[in-house]
Amino acid sequence: MREAIPVPYFGAGLKEWLFTTDHKKIGILYLTTSYIFFLVAGLFGLIIRLEQTSPGIQYVQPDFYNYLLTGHGAVLLLWWAIASHIGGFGNFLLPLMIGAKDVAFPRLNALSWWAFFGASVLVLLTLIPGNHIKMMWTGYPPYSTTGDAGVTAMYVFIIHLIGISSIATAVNFITTYIKMRAPGIHFWNTNMFVHCLIAANVIQLVGVPSLAGAVTMLLLDKYLGTNFYNPAKGGDPLLYQNVFWFYSHPVVYVQILPVFGFFSEIVPTFARRPLFGYKTMIFAVWGITLLSFMVWIHHMFVSGVPDWIRVIMSYTTILIAVPTGIKIFNWMGTLHGGAIILRSPMLYALGGIFMFLIGGLTGIPNAMVAIDLGISDSLFIVGHFHYVLGMALTLGLFGAIIYWFPKMTGKMYPEGFGKLSFWLVFIGANLFYFFQMVVGMLGNPRRYPDYPPIPEWVTLHHIQTVGAFILGLGVLVFTIGIIKGLLSGEKAPDNPWNSQSLEWRIASPAPVDNFGEEHPKVEPDYHPYKYGAPPAF
Amino acid sequence: MEQVFAYPAKWWSEAVTVWLVVAVVIYVIVAIPGLYFIMKYRFKPGVREIGDHEKHGHWGLEALWTIVPTIIVLVLATYSFAVFKKQRTAPPDAMTIKVTGFMWGWQVEYLDEKGNTIKTVVTSFNPSSYEIPEDQKIVVPAGKPVKALLTSLDVIHSFYVKPARITEDMVPGRITHLWFQINKPGEYWVFCREFCGTGHSHMFTKLKVVPPEQFALWLKSETNVANKPSQIDGNL
Ligand code: HEM
Ligand SMILES: [Cu+2]
Ligand SMILES: [Cu+2]
Repeated sequence: MREAIPVPYFGAGLKEWLFTTDHKKIGILYLTTSYIFFLVAGLFGLIIRLEQTSPGIQYVQPDFYNYLLTGHGAVLLLWWAIASHIGGFGNFLLPLMIGAKDVAFPRLNALSWWAFFGASVLVLLTLIPGNHIKMMWTGYPPYSTTGDAGVTAMYVFIIHLIGISSIATAVNFITTYIKMRAPGIHFWNTNMFVHCLIAANVIQLVGVPSLAGAVTMLLLDKYLGTNFYNPAKGGDPLLYQNVFWFYSHPVVYVQILPVFGFFSEIVPTFARRPLFGYKTMIFAVWGITLLSFMVWIHHMFVSGVPDWIRVIMSYTTILIAVPTGIKIFNWMGTLHGGAIILRSPMLYALGGIFMFLIGGLTGIPNAMVAIDLGISDSLFIVGHFHYVLGMALTLGLFGAIIYWFPKMTGKMYPEGFGKLSFWLVFIGANLFYFFQMVVGMLGNPRRYPDYPPIPEWVTLHHIQTVGAFILGLGVLVFTIGIIKGLLSGEKAPDNPWNSQSLEWRIASPAPVDNFGEEHPKVEPDYHPYKYGAPPAF
Repeated sequence: MEQVFAYPAKWWSEAVTVWLVVAVVIYVIVAIPGLYFIMKYRFKPGVREIGDHEKHGHWGLEALWTIVPTIIVLVLATYSFAVFKKQRTAPPDAMTIKVTGFMWGWQVEYLDEKGNTIKTVVTSFNPSSYEIPEDQKIVVPAGKPVKALLTSLDVIHSFYVKPARITEDMVPGRITHLWFQINKPGEYWVFCREFCGTGHSHMFTKLKVVPPEQFALWLKSETNVANKPSQIDGNL
């Protein structure tokens, strides 16, 4: 049995943090780690951006550039876009939202965290010059089995550790949701964030083993002389791509679904109105989950796979636009007739939704195989997924950090910093990513530290760099806001936003034992979006 | 009639235009009302403190915005399918070249009617500039469809013919293909767009499109095979 620790949980000592099995502390450990990694990988991005500003090699040699880009991609995808909301917010919020004392297996949860921590240490070790990985986060063989690719083994072990952590977390969360809900919490009154989180973890459970298999074969090929991917000995490099994308496509929904959850929590709260189309939202989430495993060939439209499979997966891919669209329409429906308060979490959520609309619409040409043949592996693709990941996801996470800051820390995030950082990030990111797409449409390949001095390209690259630095400034302001909030933020009331959802019924910061008893009492007509009373602020 | 500059670029640009129009229309239809709601339905202390809490769903509307987008995307996918067939099917009168990628350059072979190689162009790796020696340009006749059979000697590369807006990967152990036709003589970029290592961004050359008579002359002249990089000797 886990003993209850009486210290208010932010005053906990080092020993308690090291040995904790408390879902809230583990959540905070995940979130802090991912945020720091986000800053570092973002800095890598800025250096890459700086190098691309003008043709020629100015600041970093291609070799080191490739390391920076590999690190940027891998860390932002695995730390910022997954661990921050699954490990971070998922751990913190899941038990609170379903009225439980902790997750189903608290010790397994601690193991997940330590496996993740191990992976984080390995990432830091790659900073040592001899340890660079330079094969991009996709690590395609045969390139990744050559010496030029860097230390492939490090990459494989990072994926293994992250994989162990993800699978354990998935088992834990799914069990928690099925077994530990407070009486009165059922499928049709569960928070959208929890629905999205569970769907994302189902994808993790099914998909991660596939990725682990892909990289394990890579390890064997490179170091033990097997030939899974070696065409000279009957292997096939495309085997890797298939097994890799079987997970790594669905993973984009692991990344974005919980953010849809954030939008669905924040928008009703600040529109003072129930979430529109709650039930179709749930169907949409599960529709996306199911479809996500049937589309991976769209990453391989020019890889040499047979034409018929490209056409089939072009159809399945484009169909994902439908459930995704439903979500956007429902958020708009929630705004209609609301009493909208533009506090900073709401600004971030709305910004994220509007940018996701662009991210979604620019995803359609990637699904239309005829267009993809002309833009595959160009900066258009990079611009498109930055709209989704760098904007929709990042704005959503920033909004979520401000929104749940009171419950995590007992302090309010300073509103001025929230608003200012939002506008900086929003304007900077649009300048950057929009023109990244344009230069891609004009043919600029991705993963190019250098490019020929084609005049339009050069102009477009200059604009992008300006945008990226405004964006960087915005992130800096946001980060200062976090520190300021922690040190001198206003003391938070228990329910600052006057939300109806369960996690706001307990004190801020959340007490060690959550609701005090095994489960809180949930009234029969409880619903997380049952708005109708004016807010207190 | 205006002369078409290049295939399959023509169909590709049309498809991009179709998508762009659809995307902009959808953006306007969704974003404008969204912005309007944000301005109109504001919280006002004492006046408007709660939103409408009766309406939290509307089956008709929800069905509408499920069915209409489904139709739109299916139409787009089918249109793309039709274009894709044309992009992937070289006209019967196409001439064939064989292109082989290596770290970091291409070897291009021109064939006679029997399929024997009669001329070879090999590009060499130049990490410091984007200048290309005359004899390392890929020369093709204007107005004639060219089918390229692609493969690689080492890692995966790709062959992106920028004026034709077409890409295909070059995979060791496999032969992939694409075709293009450029009608206007001139020099155009060719890039590798699949990440292939330190020299990736300098894996490039130029496509030199010349009138057919000039091409016939060029085909008979010396090849640059003398400066073939030693790394690919013996493998071919
Ligand atoms: C701090 C803001 C950011 C900057 C300045 C930035 C900059 C860049 C640049 C310049 C590239 C290289 C494009 C190329 O030439 O191929 C890139 C690639 C990429 N970025 Fe970002 N980015 C930022 C934020 C993000 C975020 C938040 C994510 C994900 C959550 C992300 C994910 C990626 C990925 C996956 C790639 C592709 C890497 C690859 O090609 O292997 N970026 N980014
Ligand atoms: Cu290449
Ligand atoms: Cu390349």
